[in-house]
Parts: sequence; structure tokens; C-alpha cells
Amino acid sequence: MKIKAELTRLLPRNGWIGFGVAALVFFLVPILNSVTPAGSPLHVPDYLVALLGKFLCFAIVAVAMDLLWGYTGVLSLGHGVFFALGGYCMGMYLMLSIGEAGVYRSKLPDFMVFLDWKELPWFWKPFDNFGFAMVAALLVPGLLAYVFGFLAFRSRIRGVYFSIITQAFTYALMLLFFRNETGVGGNNGLTNFKSLYGYALAESSTKLGLYTLSAVGLMVVFLLCRFIVVSKAGRVLCAIRDEESRSRFAGYNPTSYKLFVYTFSAVICGLAGALYVPQVGIINPSEFQPSSSIEMAIWVAVGGRGSLLGGVLGAFVVNGAKSWFTVALPEAWLYILGVLFIAVTLFFPGGLASLLTRKKAAT
Amino acid sequence: MSTDTLVSDSMPTDEAPPESGKVESEPKPSASGKSRRLSLLPKPRKIEQDRVDALTSGRKALLCVDNVSVAFDGFKAITELTLILDEGELRCIIGPNGAGKTTLQDIITGKTKPDSGSVFLVGDNTDLTSLAEYEIAERGICRKFQRPTVFQGHTVFENLELALPGKKGVFASLFARLSKLQHERIDEVLETIGLADQKYAAAGLLSHGQKQWLEIGMLLAQDPRVLLVDEPVAGMTHQETEKTAELLSSLAGKRTVVVVEHDMEFVRSIARTVTVLHEGRILAEGSMDAVQANPKVIEVYLGGAPDA
Repeated sequence: MKIKAELTRLLPRNGWIGFGVAALVFFLVPILNSVTPAGSPLHVPDYLVALLGKFLCFAIVAVAMDLLWGYTGVLSLGHGVFFALGGYCMGMYLMLSIGEAGVYRSKLPDFMVFLDWKELPWFWKPFDNFGFAMVAALLVPGLLAYVFGFLAFRSRIRGVYFSIITQAFTYALMLLFFRNETGVGGNNGLTNFKSLYGYALAESSTKLGLYTLSAVGLMVVFLLCRFIVVSKAGRVLCAIRDEESRSRFAGYNPTSYKLFVYTFSAVICGLAGALYVPQVGIINPSEFQPSSSIEMAIWVAVGGRGSLLGGVLGAFVVNGAKSWFTVALPEAWLYILGVLFIAVTLFFPGGLASLLTRKKAAT
Repeated sequence: MSTDTLVSDSMPTDEAPPESGKVESEPKPSASGKSRRLSLLPKPRKIEQDRVDALTSGRKALLCVDNVSVAFDGFKAITELTLILDEGELRCIIGPNGAGKTTLQDIITGKTKPDSGSVFLVGDNTDLTSLAEYEIAERGICRKFQRPTVFQGHTVFENLELALPGKKGVFASLFARLSKLQHERIDEVLETIGLADQKYAAAGLLSHGQKQWLEIGMLLAQDPRVLLVDEPVAGMTHQETEKTAELLSSLAGKRTVVVVEHDMEFVRSIARTVTVLHEGRILAEGSMDAVQANPKVIEVYLGGAPDA
């Protein structure tokens, strides 16, 4: 009984039904891909699985962004940093696991041979351990977010000023990662991965496995964020968003709450980045581009701020549209994105999620 | 200055006038100091017991503002102001615009740091000017803003829930559950402020007066020792004003209530002691009648209308 009460606290009945349906759809994709023959109408082609796997990673990011922006009112336009850092940690592991199968048949990663480096830099060494690399993919973004967030929040940098600083932050890191001297592949980044933990990345079973992991990751992250949102801490976050000084005088320290959410969301973005890189096979400094961080905010805006579901919807819809338009009308995509963002903000502030909940309330 | 004072580099030089509260550095008391401070504020300072005794001898004092001055870009908002509030007192602070009423509250609640002087609770004796806002709130000093500030998106019930005393850290809040006792406490407060019927209404949908009461209720839920209330009846209807006067009067005795107000009628209806501020200094202090008869007060504030 107690467990049941806890579960209904976490998600209402309808929410659990929706969650179950979503889980079913997520898991049906790899099953249909591998069981049905290529010609059947139910068959999910490989390229679609790969695409959806990417979207799942973006959806994880969007949930984290929504927790930070929608619930806490902190708009970070630099979360691409944490996504990319998680990706780089995974990428470094994947680079080292290539071994001597690279173009130059050297133990060193190809780009180091190309740059005429004789030895692996010290910070690369522990990354041949899978466990270390995974922990680093979560902790490196977390730690950086903690330090950056501490400095920003204790100085009470808020609103648009915070957003601008995070833009500068991601731009600075982009410049850093573009340099060959930084030691992570310069502007080419890390690529030509062969295997992950012994599984060949070219195998379709590995691809389906990574897709499934991303789906599980999204569902776990969603429930985790949901747990935060329905707790008293979640109500404190909204209180800080709506009336920060009142929350201060009510005895809450907004700095530590914001820092917690900022760091937590960075760790989740690191996870998403680590899941993303083996699926797309490359990580390079373009992930640090200010525009990619802004896109993350647009997913949330389109999907609907302040409802975690909105983040998931927005990530799928915007990226789905992007995939379609960049093929059909490549020049128009950025304009469409801009118009979409402005239109949603002006006419549709609740986003897609509000459409769904309104419909639910009507029936 | 003699050479031996220069040698003792860590000691503060005793050049300040003897009236100013002497403060010394000391680690935070363990009772409320267990939680890690997430700020770069200096260490909390302690007020010397001698100073406390000198200020509060012979009365049941609770909150002392000791010789505080603050200037903004040369404009002296508060000048050498000393104010002592007794336990359970209902004090009204009046004064014309720019007298420093709001600045005084800002200093007590930690929003503004004074240039000199100290503020402390008798018994706690920590200099509140060395603490962050939430630390001062933890010590039981609560503030009601002029504009009603409630958490608009939350229900009345949730507003009060967030105001309840207890551990307010992130991880405590993540796993916090309301106990039966806390539920009763919220219902009790709802009864006091007369919003029991609106328990699950969104706070943003309440009327102006109801928001003011809700905010007072939030302060009550915090179980404060000192309640600072800034212009509680501004913009209220006559009935709402009466109800607010009743509410505030019923609170005095149990807690120290400080009301900053413009509305003379209202002040007369609730006040026992009135402090008149003018240009950052205390001009007069006493009963409403005595204050209104004071020629200095008539000159600067009441504009020659003692029977207003």
C-alpha cells in the first residue's frame, strides 16, 4: 500500500499509463527492427533506429534543461558544454580502445601520431579503463558545473546576465577544444571508433543495445527528475523561480538550491553525451558551439517549460523537424527554427505539453 | 599612534568611540552553526556581553539595533540609530518618506549591510550584520514586504508548508514529508489568518488583502520571535484594515511585532509605543498621544495637525 501511495505521488494514474505506452513504443522499435524482414510494412529501418537513438539522448538533455529552466527559472545557454564533456570522456575511452587498429597502426590515437606526439598525455592514461571513463563522463561535467555555478550563483547573477555568461562559457571552451595543444584532437575531434567494451560498434546488435540503453536512460532520468519535482525541494525550486527574495526570508538559501539543480542537470547532460557519442561515432568542438546550446533551450520552449514531459516532446518534435527540413529545405532550417521559437514564446507559452494536458482536462 | 599598537597587527585598534558596539571574531556557535555556509561572508561576530548588558539593563529586551549608520553614495539613510525592542512588544515606526524606515528593516533582515554599528538578538548575541539573510531568518526574524510577496504558483497550503520551520537544506527538502503535527500547525495558521476556506486555492488568485494575510500567515508559520511588517494596510479596504489591526494586535504579546506604517488612524488603533524616524535618526519615542503632542514631530511630520 505504501509503495502504491509513493508511486501515485510520483506520477498520477494517467501519467503512469502514458509512461507505460511510451516505454512500449521505445522498446518496440528495436524489436521491430530485428524481428521483421526488411520489406515488411512494420519494419523499422536502421537509419530510423539510429536517428531515434540520437533523439533519446537529446530528450535526456531536454528533461535536465527543463528542471533547471522550467522549474528553477535559471536559463542556461551553455549546457552544450556538459553534453560535450560527457561525450569527450566517452570519446577518449573509445579512442584508446581502438588500440593498434587505427590508420597508423600505432598504440597512440591517430591524431597524436599525426601531430608527431611520442607519448600519451597523462590525463589520457586512466581513460583506457571503462569504469573510470564512465564515472568521469558524469563527474567532469558535474564538477565544472559546481565550480562555475558556485561562482555565478553566490554572486547572485540572475536572469539574462546568467544566460549571457553561460554563452561566453561555452564559446570559451569551444576555442579551447579547437586547439591541438589541448590534447583532445583539435578541430577534428575524436572519431573512427571501433568498439565499446568489446562490442563492435558497426554491429547492428551493438547499435540496438545503445538505443535501448538510451531509452532506459531517458526513463530513469525522467523519473529521477520527477522525484525532485514532486518533493518539497521541487516546490522550493518553483518558489525561488517565482519570488526569490521571499524564499530567502523564508529561510531557504537559493544559492545552494540553484547550485544543486545546475550541477545535477550537468551530470545528466554528461550522461546523455556519453550515450550519444558511440551512436554517432564522432565528438568534436562543434558541440560547444553557442548555437547548439541555444537549440537545447528551444527544445524545452517548444515542448513546454515546467513540465518534464514537455522537454521530451520538444526534443523529439524539433529534432524530427530538423532532420526533415535539413534534407528538404536545408537553407530554410535556421529561419524555421527562429520563427518556431518566437511563435511559441508569443502565442503558445505553455508549449506542446500544455496542449496535451488541456486536452486531457477536457475529456 | 604608538609603536606597540602597530606591533599587535591582528588586534583591532581601539580608535572607535566607546558607544559603538565592540565586536570580536569568534567561530559560529555550534547550536545553529552545523550546516556548512555556502557564502563568502566573513565569520559571524559575537557581541560582547558587557555591551549587551549596558544596552538592555532593566528591561526585557529582545532585539537591539546598536548605533547603526549607513550611507548610500554619501546620502545618509541611517545615522547612529539605536533602537531597542522588548519581548512581546507591538511597536509602530512612523516617519515621512526617506526617513529610513525601509532601510532600517533592510539592515535588520540582512538585505543591507550597515557601514558601522551592529544588530543582535539578546541571548543569541551574534551580530546579525555579519550573517546572510537566510541565517537571520533561521534565528527567528521574519519580514513582510510592502508589496504582498507570496509564491503565486503555489496553493495557500503549499505557501504555508514552505514557510514552516525545520531543516531547509536541499537534501532535507528532497526527502521531507509533512508530519501530522505540521498539518495541524498549518490548519491553525489558516484559522488565524482567516483563509481556511481558500486552503487549496492558488495564491496568485487571492485578493490583495488575502495575499497580505497569507504573507503574515507565512511569517507566523515560521514561528518567529520578531515580525517586521511593512505597511500592512496599504491599499486595503476599511474592513480589511480593521481585520488586519485585529490580527496584528492578537499576535503581540506572544511575539515582538514591528509595524512600519503611514496610516495614522491604523497606527493609533494598534500602537502602544510609537517611534518616529526622521532623516535617519529617532526623533521621538513614546505613546501615540505623547508623540503627536511633541512639537518636533508636529513640525517635521504631522504638519501642525496634532488632532489628525
